[in-house]
Amino acid sequence: MLVRDIFRYRELIWVLALKELKIRYKRSVLGFLWALLNPALMMLVLTAVFSTILRFGIPHYAIFLLSVLLPWTFFSQSVSYAAESIVGNGELIKKVSVPKLVFPVAAVVSNLINLLLSLIPMALLVLAMRHPFYLTWLYLPVPMLALIIFTAGMTFFFAAANVYYRDVAHILQVVLSAWFYFTPIVYSLDFIPPHQQWLFKLNPIIYVINGFRLAIYYGMLPKWPSIAASFFCAFVTLIIGYVIFSYYQDDFVFYV
Amino acid sequence: MSNLEWRSDSPPVKLEDVTQRFRVIQERPDTLRELFSKALRHEVSYHNFEALQNVSLEVPQGQMLGIIGRNGSGKSTLLKLIAGVYRPTMGTVRVNGSLAPLIELGAGFHHELTGRENILLSGLLMGYSKDEMRRRERSIIEFADIGDFIDAPIKQYSSGMHTRLAFAVATEVDPDILIVDEILAVGDAAFQEKCFARIENFRKAGKTILFVSHNMAQLTAHCDRAVLLDKGTIIDDGDPVEVARHYQSLTVPELAPTC
Repeated sequence: MLVRDIFRYRELIWVLALKELKIRYKRSVLGFLWALLNPALMMLVLTAVFSTILRFGIPHYAIFLLSVLLPWTFFSQSVSYAAESIVGNGELIKKVSVPKLVFPVAAVVSNLINLLLSLIPMALLVLAMRHPFYLTWLYLPVPMLALIIFTAGMTFFFAAANVYYRDVAHILQVVLSAWFYFTPIVYSLDFIPPHQQWLFKLNPIIYVINGFRLAIYYGMLPKWPSIAASFFCAFVTLIIGYVIFSYYQDDFVFYV
Repeated sequence: MSNLEWRSDSPPVKLEDVTQRFRVIQERPDTLRELFSKALRHEVSYHNFEALQNVSLEVPQGQMLGIIGRNGSGKSTLLKLIAGVYRPTMGTVRVNGSLAPLIELGAGFHHELTGRENILLSGLLMGYSKDEMRRRERSIIEFADIGDFIDAPIKQYSSGMHTRLAFAVATEVDPDILIVDEILAVGDAAFQEKCFARIENFRKAGKTILFVSHNMAQLTAHCDRAVLLDKGTIIDDGDPVEVARHYQSLTVPELAPTC
């Protein structure tokens, strides 16, 4: 159902995603280049901070951090955008018969374009810091797929929830920042005392983004159970999110 | 049976016993304390409003149907049901064939995008493919006739240019059913004439047209049949001249003749 609809409306989704990017960078002198410059500049700042001011004793900390910060940013941006996507397109939904799922999916697609573009400065950083450029980069499409599925599920849920309770978009920002610190992004799971690690392992996204750090920073592949866990979490999230979304979607028009 | 009816096995538009109910939320000025206690008890005051009640309507292939009624009589709700924007609270709505809703012209337009980009976007929103829109782009631009503005963001358009482009997009895509809701009031006389010429071509091609207007002269000149809506029900159905007269008798005390 979902896959069929996405395929059927792929052109519309693509145009909506490009529209979102175009509007994000409109009237800036550098335009679309910002999609590359933004992560590049952020990387410069982080690298400067963590190699001179804050030293964690993790070599090439910037790469350690960015390898999961980029997928996290994709996740949190997609969810934030998508939460507003139905309400934000309310005027359109009230006038045209349009499949509602195109809006959250377009939010994911536009942020995915950003994620893919940000891998370019990421690769340059790896070269610049003389961090080994591992062959495991080739494995990235696998965690990427799990991440997209997981993110899509979350975006469906929050897009629908925000139609009925506009509080959701506000709460979401708090939830995302708490979630950020609860997830081993700036730190590693090894920093957590072993008897508390189980608590962190309840967090579904760690399985999803773990593969990025392993592949980019450590040059390793995740173990099978971890891969299985990542896809399990991703698909469960997608099913819950999509079922809720499709159950309510015909009613959105009365609440936007 | 006429030839037109022979061509179709089922009517392009058919509504059976349709009721559309809305929740009207009432936001009276509450004190902050009332607001909190209400929110906590999860209490929202609203009443149900039936915009349409038990409406049945069948539009045969090739008919141009005029829809008349005062403000708030349910015309727009009826059109939005047919266009698939609403799902009816009760009853069924069946539509056969592709549909171009001119409900609010340029509904799919985004003001930051250029005219050209909006042609593609609104075509896709109506369910047409990218290739098809690319093919029709030139003739859409020709019909809209807005010159170099086609590559400017449409927030810089005048309302007339906006209407021209939107009408061009909606009619150039060759729909089976055309819905025209009070839109021709914006363009100038020359453009209105162009629009009606195009609507007449649609008629000749045997397409089904639903036409909403407060302009009785336009309505009686073009429509084959008219229905009169009042308070959510169809109270008259038949010859446009008769129905228009009925409508005018309803509105005489409150409304000066339009145009």
